[in-house]
Amino acid sequence: MSRRLFLLFFIMISAVLLSGCWSQRELTNLAIVSALGIDKNEKGEYVGTFQIVNPGYVAGGLQGGAGGQSAPVTVRKSTGDNMMEMSRRLSTHLSRKQYFAHTNLLVIGEDLAKEEGILTILDVLDRDPEFRTTASVVIAQNGTAEDVLKALSPIDKIPANYVLKTMKYTEERWGENIDVALHEVITDLISPGKEPVITGFRFTGDGEQAEKLEKLQNTTPEALLQADGLAIIKDGKLTGWLDGETAKGAVWVLDKIQNTAIIVNWKEKKAAIAYEVIRQQTNVSAHIKNNTPSISIHIRAEGDIGEVTAPVDLTDEQTLLKIEKKVEQEIKKQVDNSIRHVQKEKADIFGFGEAVHRSDPAAWKKWKHEWNDLYFPELQVNMTVDAFVRRSGLRNKSYLSEVENNH
Amino acid sequence: MPSFFKRKKPKKSSDNHPSQSFDSSLTANLDIIKQKTGNSPDVITRTLKVGTNPEIKIALVYVDGIVDGQSINDFLIEAIMEKHDLGDLLIQQEAFEIMAEGVVTIGSVKPVRDWDELFSSLMSGETIVLIDGINGALSADTKGGEQRSIQEPSTQMSILGPQGGFTESIGTNTAMVRRIIKNPNLWVETMKIGKVTNTDVAIMYVNGIANDKIIEEMRKRLKRIDTDSILESGYIEQLIQDQTATTFPTTYQAERPDIVAGNLLEGRIAVFVDGTPFVLLAPAVFIQFFQSVDDYYTRFDIATFLRLLRTLILIISLFAPALYIAATTFHQEMIPTQLLIVIAAQREIVPFPAFVEALIMEVTFEILREAGVRLPKAVGSAVSIVGALVIGQAAVQAGIVSPAMVIIVAITAIASFATPAFSMGISIRLIRFGFMTAAATFGFYGIVLGGIMLVVHLCSLRSFGVPYMSPLAPLIPANMKDTVVRYPWWAFKERPRLIASDENLIRQGEDQQPAPPSDRGMVNSRTEKGDRNEP
Repeated sequence: MSRRLFLLFFIMISAVLLSGCWSQRELTNLAIVSALGIDKNEKGEYVGTFQIVNPGYVAGGLQGGAGGQSAPVTVRKSTGDNMMEMSRRLSTHLSRKQYFAHTNLLVIGEDLAKEEGILTILDVLDRDPEFRTTASVVIAQNGTAEDVLKALSPIDKIPANYVLKTMKYTEERWGENIDVALHEVITDLISPGKEPVITGFRFTGDGEQAEKLEKLQNTTPEALLQADGLAIIKDGKLTGWLDGETAKGAVWVLDKIQNTAIIVNWKEKKAAIAYEVIRQQTNVSAHIKNNTPSISIHIRAEGDIGEVTAPVDLTDEQTLLKIEKKVEQEIKKQVDNSIRHVQKEKADIFGFGEAVHRSDPAAWKKWKHEWNDLYFPELQVNMTVDAFVRRSGLRNKSYLSEVENNH
Repeated sequence: MPSFFKRKKPKKSSDNHPSQSFDSSLTANLDIIKQKTGNSPDVITRTLKVGTNPEIKIALVYVDGIVDGQSINDFLIEAIMEKHDLGDLLIQQEAFEIMAEGVVTIGSVKPVRDWDELFSSLMSGETIVLIDGINGALSADTKGGEQRSIQEPSTQMSILGPQGGFTESIGTNTAMVRRIIKNPNLWVETMKIGKVTNTDVAIMYVNGIANDKIIEEMRKRLKRIDTDSILESGYIEQLIQDQTATTFPTTYQAERPDIVAGNLLEGRIAVFVDGTPFVLLAPAVFIQFFQSVDDYYTRFDIATFLRLLRTLILIISLFAPALYIAATTFHQEMIPTQLLIVIAAQREIVPFPAFVEALIMEVTFEILREAGVRLPKAVGSAVSIVGALVIGQAAVQAGIVSPAMVIIVAITAIASFATPAFSMGISIRLIRFGFMTAAATFGFYGIVLGGIMLVVHLCSLRSFGVPYMSPLAPLIPANMKDTVVRYPWWAFKERPRLIASDENLIRQGEDQQPAPPSDRGMVNSRTEKGDRNEP
């Protein structure tokens, strides 16, 4: 009996000890990669840029944490003929194992996106169990991914966080850029009825200066990263950019607007009224008539009056209706411009193809191969916009009207 | 078993006392007593002379300190001396009956038949009366002496409810329960266990509520005990528990009469042991160790909140360090990025793996805790200062451990002390080390494996035949009302089914839910006429 017990004990102990701790990783042996950048060099090799967190310098004020004395991240470069080779080669000059589970940002260089496209580089990221496909994707506008990752940022110590949060809040507050995750890009890439759009990040100022920590001590950083434009990807390649209001128009159609400001004129005065969108709903539907598809877009926006710089009587119902009309026209103009622009690019980033697919799957089968080049550019788009003024802030009639009366 | 063990087995030690009958000579008897007690000075012999012709010598023998001197003076010595014709009466052979019926004015007097009985009564605080020329003896109950008074319990505190705790005296303890349950069905059986210590052990139960089979089992297990000494109820616990290969307590130790009373009314059996304020309650179930008397004295919503809190406490004290180890060494992807960076920054200068770090802190804490229990009051503050420095500030500054680990260990320590039952708290603490090892070897997978093993083990345990995890496993919905969620008192219809006797499960009448009076006038005469609010 005791012999059997001993054997059982022995087997259990060896099961524990023999298996060891093969997946154990101490935190001090991990290089936490906060962002990954991918470019291509002249030799045709991939150039990976790894932004690695330097924990001691991020969490300042701790024991041994010399926060502020050194850069919160260190940026390393590595080259290879494919992504895996590039990533593994990095270990020749990195004292720790790269850890991608916390990589929330993927930056793709503009040249790479334009010339070779993003199709080939995404497989490894999709396949790797460590890398999260929820990571956000951005394209380095007018530059390389390396430039974007090298730049230090004020307030948010980790530059990757700066990019991510900037993107998140500009999407929420202004609506010219959208935060796109890797898995969304991949889904859009394989869908024949929709092409991906990716936010661009651009450097303003002197790139050399952005790397230096002491430059952050200035109140106005000399170089700064800035979200700018939406990249139109067609067949996996970057074909063009949407900027400013055309970008916002695209975001309207994509139903991604959360908050934004619509500026309209009043009588003679330019930009007299700011309309603050607080809620919107965009419905896209496709109709097939005489074997030709058409798209109808219905936008319903609700919002407040955010600012009035002319004496407008907001207590008057008729005035409000007029404002609503003007807002509707403004939104319509933005969206129209955007759609026309994108139709010229021949890349259906709005997902109109998917709408057609939904309403007539049989017809879609015939069209889908030539959708982007033949049908999408010629597509008839009908649009209705309903805007409502819900509130006018803490005031109704502006004090400006009082001033007017006094004169 | 090798045979040489058998040879060593001591002979039955019944020859400690001579079982022969008493001598008729008083001096011979007293000599035997003196010889058998080794001339111990606290065995007092008081010789009285009564009558004139003939003069008869009466001896009182008692042990100093465990008798009530006052009652010996008043009811024995004085009574004997004042009875002037005693000398004549005592010549007869029925002297002891005469003494018992006519002379001694003490509550309980009984004749002693042999030496065994004499020493047993003498040592338990009774006074032995011996009369010259008569071979026999009488014992008078004069138990007394210094005892600790009833004080607040030191381990099972509560805010509400009675504040008296048990003392070291078994008589006081049983009386305290009797004062709560005033019912003739509260039965007590006594026995002496321990061949040398002759400790009084009493089992108490409510006849008709307690399950007869469990009572019988309890008697059987207590009678089985053959040991020289019982110094505390913990001895009994270890000698009667169902399964020894477990860290979980399968009997409940109570220090408060209200806990005992409440459990007796649920059909449990209490084992009182003389000399300790801790009373054993059996059968005990797992969930019982996470209940406190306060739960029953407060309203159910508050009690339920407290019980949910204790469930959280259980999880924290069992898993917190293990989860931390597993998350920081295996599953870094589970930690939010910002938190991971903060933890990584703290770990940056720590030279040990997380498991070793946790082990250092846990062991240091256990040492501090142990020292805190043992140390004299005068040096208490010194240890707490050193402890606070070692376990906190200094260890962090020296770079031995990370601040996050200090927080984990601290919250775990506090959680393990917040478990209402000390015995459960300490067994959880022990198992925690197992979970830490599992976490360091296999990560979350190891914790889950350990968790499964723990649940299987818990489900295999029995306390006096009652499944330890009941009423959770086996699931008894009717008894679930007093587990993690405590239902209001008016909803407790039944006693625990597996513990109480089957014939007497219903503990209260139907329709106990209180409601406001239908007539509002009953409360306020001003609103008597109509149901109005006006004055």
